[in-house]
Amino acid sequence: MRLVQIVLGFLAVMAFGLAAEEVFVVGLDAAFPPFTWVEQGEYKGFDVEVMRKIAELQGFRVEFRDLPWATIITALAQGKIDIIASGLSVTCERAQVVDYSLPYWEVDQAILVRQDSELNAITAFLGTVVGAQAGTTGYMWLEDNLVAKGVPVELRAYETYDMAVRDLEIGRIAAVLCDTDTALGFVNAGRNVKIVGIVKTGEQYAYAVTKGDPYGLLPRLNEGLRKLYELGIWAELVAKYFPGRAVEPVPLVPNDPCR
Amino acid sequence: MGDLLGEWFGFLHGVGVTLQVVAGVMAFGFLFGLGLALTQVYGPRLLALVATSLERTLRGIPVIVLLLVVYYLPWDLPPLLVAIAALGLCSSGYQSQIFHTALRSVRPGQVEAGRALGLTDRQVLVHIVLPQAFRLAIASWANEFSAQIKETSLVYIVGVAEILRHARRIIAYTFGNSLVIYGFTALIYFALTRAGNAFLRRLERRLAIPGLGKPLA
Repeated sequence: MRLVQIVLGFLAVMAFGLAAEEVFVVGLDAAFPPFTWVEQGEYKGFDVEVMRKIAELQGFRVEFRDLPWATIITALAQGKIDIIASGLSVTCERAQVVDYSLPYWEVDQAILVRQDSELNAITAFLGTVVGAQAGTTGYMWLEDNLVAKGVPVELRAYETYDMAVRDLEIGRIAAVLCDTDTALGFVNAGRNVKIVGIVKTGEQYAYAVTKGDPYGLLPRLNEGLRKLYELGIWAELVAKYFPGRAVEPVPLVPNDPCR
Repeated sequence: MGDLLGEWFGFLHGVGVTLQVVAGVMAFGFLFGLGLALTQVYGPRLLALVATSLERTLRGIPVIVLLLVVYYLPWDLPPLLVAIAALGLCSSGYQSQIFHTALRSVRPGQVEAGRALGLTDRQVLVHIVLPQAFRLAIASWANEFSAQIKETSLVYIVGVAEILRHARRIIAYTFGNSLVIYGFTALIYFALTRAGNAFLRRLERRLAIPGLGKPLA
């Protein structure tokens, strides 16, 4: 009985704390630069700054929590966190378990091969072994558009893109498919890889909240994006994290993920 | 490589978190494990049976599964608490085994002598059995301590930023240096387990009683 009382008391305090201060837990995988990372103990990145600015404009507080990619969606679906802000692509499957804000970013998938490789965008996927991080849209694309259609390619799932790129560098796999911004990160960091082609997936990143939006966050996130753009803060952030990238007005027009 | 030096703090923070988890786990495991062992050895039959099956169950579940089960309990527990509860439950299974063996290793003559002196059962337990059992348990407990330090490397999956998570973060934002960073991480774990074991070994020697733990002549 005593334990039940303690637990109930604890929950009451938590609930009261949320109502009084409106602190929302933002889940991210701090291994996805330039969108999210942790440097010397500090949360950094495009999504981190956007979240902080939106919270400021919309009058709530955010607290970041670092979760591995493989568990982040379930954590949100179960209400362990309130928002995902971590370069999350909108997909049909994910839309069944979480609700999305309006999209704010568009990416394609880049094909990475070793620098000395002679593979091109076509031969990289013919009779070869291709890697991607498990649970990413890159991996899903390979599954849905190559394996499911009988293209002779072997997939290998990795826990992180760093491991996939490592295997690529030492010749265990022939190519890696990942988001264009991530691919540029590896190239610019001087890893022994190059981009030989882009798969135009036109996927969109959006923020996600628990299904049913129990705290009414979606309107506030969308409104926050709109204000960030109008105030010119958006353009500053894009220039800071993605030098040379064109600034598109946000929120973007959403594509239908289940088309 | 230059920016890696600046990550000292991150690693120190990770070490701090790991030590918090280990301290919580070992304390939880000690209390719960000792309770289980005492129930198994001295409790009424039915309770002893419950304690034994609980211990078997806890030892039969992989830590990572237990972590996820506790994480998805319908209460909003802070990640650190989830980690301590899950690893602590697992450890209490093993610690109960350690204490069980230690309690059984105290020679029956000791208990009889205590009774002959007019001590109650409780007094015999507190003043005669436990002090000897704890001394006998230190070596195996040190082993469990090392195991638990290493098990903490799993708790990042529930969002606790311990040593290994810091390593992964650095690799992610520098897009490399994997071997150096994982090598360094291995060194940190090694240093922690060595330091802990050296301390426990010294404790064991300091508390040693001549003749205790030696086979009967």
